[in-house]
Amino acid sequence: MAIKVTVCERPISETSYVRATFKGLALTLKHLVDPHKVTVQYPEEKWDIGPRWRGTHRMLTTEDGKAKCVACGLCPTVCPANCIKLVPGEDAEGNRYPLVFDIDEFRCIFCGYCQEVCPEEAIHLGRHYENAEYDRKSFVYDLERLTAQTHPVCEMWDPADPKGE
Amino acid sequence: MSEPKLINLTIEGRAVSVPEGTTILEAAKTAGVLIPHYCYHPGLPIAGVCRMCLVDVEKMPKLAPSCATTVGEGQVVHVYSEKALEARKGVLELLLINHPLDCPICDQAGECELQDYTFQEGRADSRYREPKRFTAAEDFGGDVLYVQNRCILCTRCVRFMDDVAEDTALCVQERGDRAGIGRSPNHGLTHAWASNVVDLCPVGALISKDFLNKARSWDLDRTASICPNCSQGCNITLETRDAVVVRMKPRSNTAVNQYYACDEGRLNYHWINRADRLETPVVAGRAVEWDVAIAAAAAALKGKKARVVASASLSNEALYLLKQVIGATGGSGAFRVMQGAEAPLAGVHDLALRADRAANATGAELLGFSRTDNPLAGIGSGDVLVLAGEECVGLDTTAFAAAAAVIVLGTAAPAQLPSNAILLPVANFAEEEGTFTNLRGRVQRFMQAKAAPGFARPTWSVLADLLAALGSKGNLASAESVFASLAGSEAPFGGMSYDTLALKGQIVTGAGVTA
Repeated sequence: MAIKVTVCERPISETSYVRATFKGLALTLKHLVDPHKVTVQYPEEKWDIGPRWRGTHRMLTTEDGKAKCVACGLCPTVCPANCIKLVPGEDAEGNRYPLVFDIDEFRCIFCGYCQEVCPEEAIHLGRHYENAEYDRKSFVYDLERLTAQTHPVCEMWDPADPKGE
Repeated sequence: MSEPKLINLTIEGRAVSVPEGTTILEAAKTAGVLIPHYCYHPGLPIAGVCRMCLVDVEKMPKLAPSCATTVGEGQVVHVYSEKALEARKGVLELLLINHPLDCPICDQAGECELQDYTFQEGRADSRYREPKRFTAAEDFGGDVLYVQNRCILCTRCVRFMDDVAEDTALCVQERGDRAGIGRSPNHGLTHAWASNVVDLCPVGALISKDFLNKARSWDLDRTASICPNCSQGCNITLETRDAVVVRMKPRSNTAVNQYYACDEGRLNYHWINRADRLETPVVAGRAVEWDVAIAAAAAALKGKKARVVASASLSNEALYLLKQVIGATGGSGAFRVMQGAEAPLAGVHDLALRADRAANATGAELLGFSRTDNPLAGIGSGDVLVLAGEECVGLDTTAFAAAAAVIVLGTAAPAQLPSNAILLPVANFAEEEGTFTNLRGRVQRFMQAKAAPGFARPTWSVLADLLAALGSKGNLASAESVFASLAGSEAPFGGMSYDTLALKGQIVTGAGVTA
């Protein structure tokens, strides 16, 4: 069976590309002179991140520079990704202290449960996102690295309104 | 003996029949209701001091302490009535007045009855605004550390020392909010069974120095086992964290050890974790595959007499298969038992840390091994020496040179082995399953708690392969089938199987003669 083809004839004003080209160029020209900028000039410029941003971890320390952690074991218990390795032990004064505290940031899902559960306010998620590394093993942060970091930490709740009312 | 009279009562809507004289608390257990309690313990005299077990009994004017109230015909007991819950909530609030909120650093957390019952029935917050009492922790001696801040004065420890250990080392000192547990004048907590107060303590007031800050209780894997440190055969729980044994706790068996375990037994577990283990089969100084090593051992045994020097801490299964090896080659078997001081627990019938510091000396005797002080004596020049679990520490090892060949089934190699020795790495008791026979002839099962290192295999499994290579036949594919074979051919073990042993064990036929 033969196929019947109908050819639509449209006026040249509708099919010409010249009009569309100038329309596009006009839009480009408008953005060239418009002061409203969308692109952030990363890494020279950086966006502000929210107070509840949950990035790679940080361990807070006491005045004498020791980790606040008492190795209670709540964070590895609550961690849904099973990314915290904790071996409890004692420090030189005989206080409970972590012998090993490793967080695998590759496994971490940044839920923030560890910060929420910590009774000593020791482990925190950081307001920080530049954490690229050259190899996989560098993503396992040990206690030394967790305590050495200085970036601001996540505010899980507003201190002025802790219950979120 | 006349049958005890049965009393019928109703607990939480469930009809219960218990013998006359039973307490409401014990009767409630049979109905599947655990009434919260601190001072009550089935192994100790009743004190009724904690007031935590108050229940509502119909027609009684006041709430009754269920640990000290015996059942009556037709009683109707409400454990969770509003009145009872309110009373127990009040008791908990008072207990928590001076109890520190240091659960994150307390070793008892996770197995603490104060934590559990507060979570179940206590208030969510405290109305107490004053500063809490603080007292420094005190070392009680032995393995026990006393943290008075956490103490709820249930006096379980005092009653254990007074009535079970019969050594009045502990008492309640001072009064009111200064009250605490103290050592009696001129007394240390040095009794050989003193560490049981750590298990008895319902809170974290008495804690083990050995276990201090080592692990959280919810991280531990628990395995039913038998204490390998003497011939009493106390039932224990091996607690492991990441395949490392961190604690041994007694497991209740009313026929053997009630609820208790001695200090020496429970603290002597570090050898289970030793790192210098034999991990690969070795023949003449070279690491080889298992089948090569088994073939070499079978070839060495062919046509020669096997002189087996066994450890008295091997399982019945391993000793039975060693007996088969002896039978196949016409040799003999001997063992020695390390000795130590005997330390009885006065308040419990027939319970002591025994002088024989090996778990299965009775089993070895029943299976025809001869007990001697020097099992290496009299090795003939044509004999093959088989060292099974015996490291020959303190023995004259010149016999090694006299033997035609030396086969070692062990966790570590003895010193001064000849260079052509055949080393077959085996699991220790925590890494395999099996049975021990205690000094009263009770055969009890123990389970595998952790994995064996490297290529090490259970002793019975290695011996089963060796027997197959020597030409004997039989189903020896599992510890259970080895035990079935043992029960089938050894009269004292007749009629036993892993199913009939269950967790309480069975006594061998004709026992009592070994006592």
